[in-house]
Amino acid sequence: MALVNEADGPAIEGACGVEEALPLLEALAGGAALSLGRCTHLHTAPLQVLLALRPPLRDPPAEPFLARWVAPLLSGPKE
Amino acid sequence: MSAPLLLRFVAEARDLLQAAAGGLLDLERHPGNDTAINEVFRAVHTLKGSVGLFDFAAFTRLVHVAEDVLSAVRDGQLALTPALVDLLLDALDRMGAWLDDIESVGSLPADADHVAHATTTALRAALPAAAETETAAAPAAAATTDLGWVAALAEPDRHAAVARALAGAPLTALEYRPAEDCFFSGEDPVNLFRQLPELIALAIEAPEGWPPADQFDPYACRLRLRALVAAPPEQIEPLFRYVLDQVALAPVAPENLIVPTGAAAEDGAAGPVREDFLAAARPLLAAADWDGLRRIVTALRELTGADLLIASALRWLDLVLAAPAPVPGWVAALIETIATGAAVAPAGAGPAGALPPLARAMLEGQRFGLGLPGAETRPGRIAAIGRGVGAILRALGQDATAWRDDVAAASAGDDPTPMLVALDRLLAADDAVPAAAPAEPPPRATGPPPAESAPAGGGGESRAAPRVLKVDQVKVDTLMTLIGELVVSKNSLPFLARRAETVHGSREMGREIKDLYAVIDRLAQEMQAAIMAVRMLPVSEVFERFPRLVRDVARKLGKQVELVIEGEETAADKNIVETLGDPLLHILRNALDHGIEPPDERAAAGKKPTARLLVRAFQESDQVVIEVVDDGRGIDPARIRAAAVAKGVIPPERAARLSDQEAVNLVFLPGFSTAGTISDLSGRGVGMDVVATTLEKAGGAVSLDSVPGRGTTVRLSLPLSMAVTRVMMVEAGGGRLFGIPMDQIAETVRIPPAAIRRIKQAEAFVLREAIVPLLRLDALLGVTGATGAEETAEAEAAVLVVRLGGALTGLVVDHFREGMDIILKPFDGILAGIPGYAGTALLGDGRVLLVLNLKELL
Repeated sequence: MALVNEADGPAIEGACGVEEALPLLEALAGGAALSLGRCTHLHTAPLQVLLALRPPLRDPPAEPFLARWVAPLLSGPKE
Repeated sequence: MSAPLLLRFVAEARDLLQAAAGGLLDLERHPGNDTAINEVFRAVHTLKGSVGLFDFAAFTRLVHVAEDVLSAVRDGQLALTPALVDLLLDALDRMGAWLDDIESVGSLPADADHVAHATTTALRAALPAAAETETAAAPAAAATTDLGWVAALAEPDRHAAVARALAGAPLTALEYRPAEDCFFSGEDPVNLFRQLPELIALAIEAPEGWPPADQFDPYACRLRLRALVAAPPEQIEPLFRYVLDQVALAPVAPENLIVPTGAAAEDGAAGPVREDFLAAARPLLAAADWDGLRRIVTALRELTGADLLIASALRWLDLVLAAPAPVPGWVAALIETIATGAAVAPAGAGPAGALPPLARAMLEGQRFGLGLPGAETRPGRIAAIGRGVGAILRALGQDATAWRDDVAAASAGDDPTPMLVALDRLLAADDAVPAAAPAEPPPRATGPPPAESAPAGGGGESRAAPRVLKVDQVKVDTLMTLIGELVVSKNSLPFLARRAETVHGSREMGREIKDLYAVIDRLAQEMQAAIMAVRMLPVSEVFERFPRLVRDVARKLGKQVELVIEGEETAADKNIVETLGDPLLHILRNALDHGIEPPDERAAAGKKPTARLLVRAFQESDQVVIEVVDDGRGIDPARIRAAAVAKGVIPPERAARLSDQEAVNLVFLPGFSTAGTISDLSGRGVGMDVVATTLEKAGGAVSLDSVPGRGTTVRLSLPLSMAVTRVMMVEAGGGRLFGIPMDQIAETVRIPPAAIRRIKQAEAFVLREAIVPLLRLDALLGVTGATGAEETAEAEAAVLVVRLGGALTGLVVDHFREGMDIILKPFDGILAGIPGYAGTALLGDGRVLLVLNLKELL
């Protein structure tokens, strides 16, 4: 499981697979802030969850691909 | 993926490939034949549709690119050269080979991707769009309508893309709309983009927005992914090969990206500065003073707010001007944007702008070609150059309507003057182009690409579904067997009628049975005729491959050959038609390789350089006859004699006695081949003797007629149907019945015992002053006659004279019986290996008749 619960909210560590989309959805339902700092890969399904919910981020992703292409989608103003 | 579906696909795909190949050859001969190109296109398009049902990614890709090429040919953007036809035929062959693999093992061979890539790349290189992306200076004319979104990508990304394009990289726009259930088939769409080599821009969006959180299904993909990649489509496709149907790929021209965005300028303080800038910029553009432009652009940028449209345009100008050779059209459009305050779509070169050097060179080349003398080739040249210039004009975004009218006028009058005038005007306009920038973007070919499924001419698609059933041959064969059995069973009715009369003493009953028999007999015969008709195939089934073969072989040998096919609708039994295939191929190869001379040799002999090869089929009584006639050098009897002697096929003194015709016939002897050098085509050790044997097996014959210097005619004849065999029944082994094929029987004679001569162990007799060897059927079959040998020795012997391979042999039997038509069933199963028998047939009284194969027996 890449989805872990830290003291100050959920975090994704390493590669987040397709099967974690639903747990992620549940974890974020309460409006908790997410950490992506140590996430190395997001499968499209969990990514879609993030795009739909636009949770507040504690740490933006550090991994280059996610930082370049995904982080801007999550950090901008929610429409 | 169900097996029946796959089998149906294979059968259908074969037909489509055949249709496409045939159409291509037709097109090569008559370029501009709209019907033919539409046929080919439709065949390939349908094939693309059906192959998409299966997981044959390489196959799909190959069909796809073939379709693209054909589409370009259909739209006149691409001329169908022999080299291109070769490429397309290769692709079709490749698909044919894959079909074989699919049929036998259910999947493509392991190297399919690799092989497909080579062919795909070669084909794609022929596409006009591909040619243009290579030369970044010439703007691509690719349809931009469905790629409008590229202009909406973030400006820095577009900057990066244009910079790459200016450095010579091809740009491809990629839109991937994953299927909603893609997560369930293991797809990770975003991960595919992670693997793209030169990703420049990526936009991940949910075009339909998001549903309320409580209805959101995380496992239904709602995303749309769009990307800009600095790589050609063929490098991207393999990555997306499993989802190609959900992906749209298209090359992007840089000017599609050069779209300034931002807030419109308020007419404030910047107004006068902007006027100054424009006043300075326009003369600099006209003078192509790029350094000067760059300086004033930098100056204005410092004075302009970064959010403004003008600032965006200035940033673009900066980038465009940084190129070693800035494109005037782009610069002009950007300056106009600053002037008008609204985005002006740039164009590489408009009609009023200077022609790009490449386009100018191409147009000059076409003009030169048009002006060449030579009335004979003029119509072809007019058509080809008409298409070529049309394609160049479209690529430049110019209106080609006037040009098409000129071409039509030129081809109608067989006079290229209207085209020459138009070309001169084009080139002159370019010379005299005022350096002023175009105020309006030129009209571009923005219409959507022609819909793939709508062939030009319309209406053609609504062909009535052909009322043809495709039936497995086994089913027809079963039906024929059943009818055969019916024929045989009905033959027992006369026996029954006789029994009614003789045993039960009821003449009336007997007559009624006979009346009934007459009715059933008629019906059975009609059924037999009907099922024969089902099995009849036109010989065109075999002839279809010939145009391709002749074309390929002739090209390889550097000979010019016109193939004429006559009577392809002549029909014969399926087995017969199939028997014809290989011998005919061999004969055609022979004719092309040995018979037909190279063009210069023909010219020296006073013949037309293009040889004529006629394949003619017709029906002659109950035979189907096929003649292959060439007008080549013919067969030299002296050479044949010499070769036969040299190879030891016949002794020299016999060779000298042979007439010319007999000498020519020596080619049918086993071990004979006149080819001086063994070529790749014919003369691979299989000679005309194989042809002769194959035909004899099927009950046919082959003859050869040749006039030195004038040509050769090979004539094949075969029975129309092999289904019914006429045999003569004989008795041997004390009342056992055997059938002997009628076509092997020369005559029947009765000879007194005294006439039989013994030569050592063998017996013989004299028939019309020729010694004929005599064999006893009893002994041959190992059946001993119950009547005893002494008894037959007293009476005259019944001798069946049979002809085998040109020699007569006498066969002693007990009694001759009647001849009859039978349906011969070859042995199968455990009996199949027994030599000496051709098969069995049922007799009317239920007995089984063994039919002999004399060739194996003697």
